Amino acid sequence: MRQAGAYSGILSGGGVSGRTGPHLLPLARIKKIMKKSSVDVKMISGEAPLVFSKACELFIEELTKRSWNTTIQGKRRTLHKEDVASAVATTDVFDFLIDLVHPNASGDVDLDEEHVLEKK
Amino acid sequence: MELNGVVHGYQRLHPHPTAGPRMQMHPPEYSTTTTECLVREQDRFMPIANVIRIMRKTLPTHAKISDDAKETIQECVSEFISFVTGEANDRCQREQRKTITAEDILWAMSKLGFDDYIEPLTIYLHRYRELDGGERGSMRGGDPSLMKRSGVGNIDDFAPVFRMGSQLVGPPPPPVPPAATVAGFLNDAAIAGGGGGVGTSRRATGVAGFQPYVRFKE
Repeated sequence: MRQAGAYSGILSGGGVSGRTGPHLLPLARIKKIMKKSSVDVKMISGEAPLVFSKACELFIEELTKRSWNTTIQGKRRTLHKEDVASAVATTDVFDFLIDLVHPNASGDVDLDEEHVLEKK
Repeated sequence: MELNGVVHGYQRLHPHPTAGPRMQMHPPEYSTTTTECLVREQDRFMPIANVIRIMRKTLPTHAKISDDAKETIQECVSEFISFVTGEANDRCQREQRKTITAEDILWAMSKLGFDDYIEPLTIYLHRYRELDGGERGSMRGGDPSLMKRSGVGNIDDFAPVFRMGSQLVGPPPPPVPPAATVAGFLNDAAIAGGGGGVGTSRRATGVAGFQPYVRFKE
């Protein structure tokens, strides 16, 4: 069984470590995703991925909590994709995720088309 | 739905899975819309183990998470990063700056409606700088004479680590006015092309009277 080291992501804080610190999410990966978000992303400060590591944690927490609300409303104990879809549909800030959780007929994400909320 | 005019370079190589592990629903040929993005799937998303860990932290012990939910949230995180970065990048371009800074990210989040995140993120950033600045100045242990120097909270290269071992998100944070914090404090903190060096040559010179750790002043 994999052991959690002192500086693993298990701890949300917990002590000073080396350069990366006790983050829950890998900074290099965040930076990669940032670079891919647009062709003209040039340079990224060292702190930006850091802010994202915490922001993504907050994001996952919020999305998970809201999804779980749907789960328990349905008297279930397993969080399903549909619960995530429901959380996205009912939360304004998650509008950008609508295409992601409700794929349209072609299965591809068309970013510049009007989204039609028919298919679930 | 137009996503605030932001076009993501991040595209999927295959349709969303309906259940279980990612399966391709049609032959593995790349369509013309996806040829630009021949990246490994593992590079496009956060590691699923990390995502699951955060989810479990949030949920009650008895909760179970289906595989498709895990993957969906994993995808959502990447979309979140792209979405916010796109907005931050637009701002940089408008202002003719080349480097996306932490301040840009925070600004973009606020603009896109994630206001609730701003304060905890600002605090997190301050604490990280405080800890990291202490390490890079080789000042572990919180030397009291140095504490005096930065007792009013000017963040410079020699900010001591006076809370060794403290959790980044543990103790109650000092009151920090969010708007002033972001605008003033992070103004000069950009490090071009940084890969992680958050302790180098940072001067909070753009900050007039900003004192994040003065608890009693208002």
